[in-house]
Amino acid sequence: MTNNNVILSVQNLSTWFETELGTAKSVQNVSYDIEKGKTLALVGESGCGKSVSALSIMRLIPTPPGRIVSGKIIFNGENILDYTEKQMRKIRGNKIGMIFQEPMTSLNPVYTIGQQIIETITLHQNKTEEQAWAIAEEMLEKVHIPDPARRMNEYPHLLSGGMRQRVMIAMAISCKPSLLIADEPTTALDVTIQAQILDLLDELGHSENMSILLITHDLGVVAQRSDDVVVMYASRIAEKCSCKELFNNPLHPYTQGLLKSLPQLGTNQKRLNTIAGNVPEPMNFPTGCKFHPRCPIGCNDKRCQSEEPELKEVSKGHFAACWYAPGYEKVKSDK
Amino acid sequence: MNNSANIKNDWGTSYGQLVWQQFTKNLANMICMWFLIVLFCIAVLAPFIANDKPFAISVDGKIQFPVFKTLTANDYSVFLAAIIAFTLVMLVRRNSRKIDPFLRAGVLSKQIFICGTILIVGIAALQVFIPRKLDATDYRAMLASGKATNAIFPVVPYGYARTDIKLTQLPPSKEHWLGTDDVGSDVLCRLIHGTRVSLSVGFVAVGISSVIGIIFGAVMGYFGGKIDFLGMRLLEIMMCVPTFFLIITIVAFFPRSLINIMIIIGLTSWTGDARFVRAEFFKLRNQDFVQAAISLGLPLRSILFRHMLPNGIAPVLVNMTFGIAGAIFIESALSFLGFGVAPPTPSWGQMLSTGVSTSGQFLWWLTLFPGLAIFFTVTAYNLLGEGLRDAIDPKLRKAV
Repeated sequence: MTNNNVILSVQNLSTWFETELGTAKSVQNVSYDIEKGKTLALVGESGCGKSVSALSIMRLIPTPPGRIVSGKIIFNGENILDYTEKQMRKIRGNKIGMIFQEPMTSLNPVYTIGQQIIETITLHQNKTEEQAWAIAEEMLEKVHIPDPARRMNEYPHLLSGGMRQRVMIAMAISCKPSLLIADEPTTALDVTIQAQILDLLDELGHSENMSILLITHDLGVVAQRSDDVVVMYASRIAEKCSCKELFNNPLHPYTQGLLKSLPQLGTNQKRLNTIAGNVPEPMNFPTGCKFHPRCPIGCNDKRCQSEEPELKEVSKGHFAACWYAPGYEKVKSDK
Repeated sequence: MNNSANIKNDWGTSYGQLVWQQFTKNLANMICMWFLIVLFCIAVLAPFIANDKPFAISVDGKIQFPVFKTLTANDYSVFLAAIIAFTLVMLVRRNSRKIDPFLRAGVLSKQIFICGTILIVGIAALQVFIPRKLDATDYRAMLASGKATNAIFPVVPYGYARTDIKLTQLPPSKEHWLGTDDVGSDVLCRLIHGTRVSLSVGFVAVGISSVIGIIFGAVMGYFGGKIDFLGMRLLEIMMCVPTFFLIITIVAFFPRSLINIMIIIGLTSWTGDARFVRAEFFKLRNQDFVQAAISLGLPLRSILFRHMLPNGIAPVLVNMTFGIAGAIFIESALSFLGFGVAPPTPSWGQMLSTGVSTSGQFLWWLTLFPGLAIFFTVTAYNLLGEGLRDAIDPKLRKAV
């Protein structure tokens, strides 16, 4: 990857978990790039490996069971998988910020909001506590928390879920990271707050020129605020393209199924479409294409059942991993 | 600094304050706490309460102050420790009202550091510079012979090391409120001076054991895996050894001194703390805020002791109060068996044994009073631990 505009490039990442029941191949051969100032959405069902891939970027995989088997994670031109733990600590929170799914439990209950934010700032930047305090207040203002001076001195239990998620965002961006990983930032929040938080992320992405890796299972979220989309299914990438392309021209049957199962305004649909079946368990993935037991085409097809399709660029900037994607056969396997 | 300073006391209630409110609601807790506070005052002021040297006496027309002249380096060390402990308590109270919560932890740690330094340096200096003076003057005899007049004696006007063959094994009377022992010392006086041994053993031993236990448990719980496996096996080996017999064996090898007993009790009783901390850290390890702390790039020290420990300290605190009771108990038992502090330094366990071992006679006052002292102190600590456990447990918390 020679593109200078790419802030983070994940290349052929595989993360496996060794358990007593066998090896769970949670992430296999996943590659994606995030450009500066752009938002990449990682979409998929629960257990498809999207969170594990994000944790791999932060090197937060618990290492006795989990292991990054192969691949590279190039951040700012350097492979951070080669970094020592000490170097990683300088990147975490400083260059790469992360927001978690559960705002209710992501703040330490024994410290005030202010204490928690300034700890990060004083750690990564050469600031005194007073300076850090001012920066923290500014950050809280940036994430639209009313009366930040008072909130700084409050304990997390006094804040609502949406407020806490804002505090988490303020903490994550307090050192002005160039990449923000948002791991399902709105799952635990109610719908009106969801929209506010997503708008906030969007706004911050633009004003701070920050790249965002948005992990979600909600295609509605993806539609409005991302530039590129990666659809993951059962540890692999099913489809990768720009957001517009995905909604206009989905190629993988899984993506098509997902889009069909979205409720749409203005139609007189009686029942929502669903994708039959469940996500396969990482211990016993089906042979061949992992989606074939649930796929309208693949369930009767010999090749889908025995051979696994690679991810190929079927048209410009549009990658898919399906034998029946239009144009898939014509592409040479060297991509 | 900023305008938040203008908003007074609008800082919300911290966890510690909630626990404190809950703790003070219970009458039994308050009784135990005040009992122990009084006991501490007695221990600190022992030379002023029970001493055969008068506060003031006029000898040949000149006024002397023998009590102050005969204070030893140990006495001064105890006073210094008491003053520093009192200052710290006052500082914490003041901090919680006046200082911003975000500065509080930092300020407190600085204050503890400064106080600790003063304490250690002070005690070392006192031990070096204050000479051992033995004042063998019998002021009461002087008073009786008319050499001296107008003496003001402490409430219990006997020294703990006094021996008098004429006054052995006297039952409680007007002169000796709790009687005298087999060498003629006043029991009440020895009881008062024995408080020092019992209380200091509890604190120092538990201090040592909880520091070891917390570090050991934190590392095991946080890292898990092989470190945890090895640590747990070591801990289980420690637990299998009958601690009391181990202590007796070790004590037999070393000179009989209070410091040795404290260190040995501390080094052998950390397993409970370590297991509590380990269990808490296992639970906390996967909490989101710990993950968040790691993802913010905080160093391990901060994650373990700043973010995880305060959330998992509650069971250790409770265990510490029980540990203090246990240490007092072990010290009494050791002294009872003759492995404790060397006489004439008094200790409750040692006094108990004198009541039993005399030839055939059962001297009830020698057994009852030290026994009651041990009983009440240990009970107070245990009740305090129970109260603390209830106050910490949010399920038992009444609406504040």
